[in-house]
Amino acid sequence: MDPMETMNTEIVELLAAKEARRRKLAGLSFPDKVRAVVRLQRMVAPLLRARGRQVRVWTIEESAAPGE
Amino acid sequence: MEKTLQILNDLERAEVVSRYAIGEAMGATFYVEPVLTFDLDVFVVLPQTRGGLLTLEPLYEALRARGYREEDECVHIEGVPVQFLPAYNALLEEALAEARETRYDATPTRVLRPEHLLAIALQTGRDKDRERVRLLREQARLDQNYLKGVLARHKLDDKWTQWKP
Repeated sequence: MDPMETMNTEIVELLAAKEARRRKLAGLSFPDKVRAVVRLQRMVAPLLRARGRQVRVWTIEESAAPGE
Repeated sequence: MEKTLQILNDLERAEVVSRYAIGEAMGATFYVEPVLTFDLDVFVVLPQTRGGLLTLEPLYEALRARGYREEDECVHIEGVPVQFLPAYNALLEEALAEARETRYDATPTRVLRPEHLLAIALQTGRDKDRERVRLLREQARLDQNYLKGVLARHKLDDKWTQWKP
């Protein structure tokens, strides 16, 4: 098989998996989505603070994360 | 978050606000994949004041009385910075009137319909609104007839056409 063709197949599969993941996330319950947003906040806050932007991560009770 | 919503419901019961609904990024998150935000944006219909003035001061006062303080443009309610946005035009008034009743665990709440979130993003027109429109178009279950009506009533059809890929 042409290496380029293999690469294209892999990229197509990767993009399809990414799209499936996004659809799965879109289908979560509202509380699970809020918990995911708080996890995003935790990941991004240090970067934003390092750039001088003051942000506050929500302090809500968090149970199991979606997909875990 | 649930406690935050309980406070919002309490404010509505006490008629501090006539009606509220979640909008902007967290409103969109209800319909699409989780979107990063640091504020909970809540649209409110405020009770009529004598002079017809649109002011959030009575709302802030009621929150202060409950022990919640404002910081910049938000009020921190039970660990969540809430930004209150009064319904200042016809589109927002309609969006609030027709917001979807839902539940967050055991707590009832309200979220703007995806068609209104899309129309508001079109009307506001910032870069992040363009991204929100894309997400809603791709992932939310939009009632196309309902959307058509909203866009026509608020003269947003042209912008919708421009923003389509």
